[in-house]
Amino acid sequence: MLADSLSATFSALADPTRRAILARLSVGEASVTELAGPFPMSLPAVSKHLKVLERAGLIARGRSAQWRPCRLAPEALKEATEWLDAYRRFWDESLDNLADYLKRLQSQDKPR
Amino acid sequence: MSDERVLVITRVFDAPRDLVFAAWTDERSAAQWWGPKGFTSVSCTIDARVGGAWRRVMRAPDGAMLGARGLYREIIPPERLVFTYAWEKNPRHAGHETLVTLTFADLGGKTELTLRQEVFETVAARDDHRNGWSGSLERFAEYLTHGT
Repeated sequence: MLADSLSATFSALADPTRRAILARLSVGEASVTELAGPFPMSLPAVSKHLKVLERAGLIARGRSAQWRPCRLAPEALKEATEWLDAYRRFWDESLDNLADYLKRLQSQDKPR
Repeated sequence: MSDERVLVITRVFDAPRDLVFAAWTDERSAAQWWGPKGFTSVSCTIDARVGGAWRRVMRAPDGAMLGARGLYREIIPPERLVFTYAWEKNPRHAGHETLVTLTFADLGGKTELTLRQEVFETVAARDDHRNGWSGSLERFAEYLTHGT
């Protein structure tokens, strides 16, 4: 289930428009109309992107106000960054092992 | 394209390029090093052809089994190796797909390996021919105008 939520996060972030929306929200909450401003697309198209981001837990939307402002939900992004760190650790340690393996290999005449 | 979420690791190995390359494409070799410290190898299969699959199963120090798999996209011995990489959610289903590009530079007996992993851009988004909407903002705008 952790993998599922990460998968949703990364799929949501794979799109440059959605990344741009998140970048805009990182400076403060905004309405759909405000978010749509810089993009050459319709409000429904922007709403669709917002739904994807909301489902992935990357943004939260106000319930009370009629214009339902959007804001960043930083938890999901934090999780994604941790995932990247996990990959880095995975490869760093694997490459340490590779260096040891290559050393062993070259100190033997015949690799087993 | 934003590169801030791309993982890049560079290492110099005291071994000739052929040997370093083969350590990635020969399954008996790869089984001996591919995985973090304390992990043990359960299985390693490599079909080193373009379009061929690889799969790696490891046991973590806590006993958990971890599987990963992918497909080879480019194989140019001993210079370049490109493959997809996804952790398995379970043996039948792979999770989020990432793309790993390895380049091997000959430093006269030593080898500089650069590992680049694109974590955010799915491979489908990168070189997709079916839904041309997630590659760039321009293509996305085009899709909105002509696609729906």
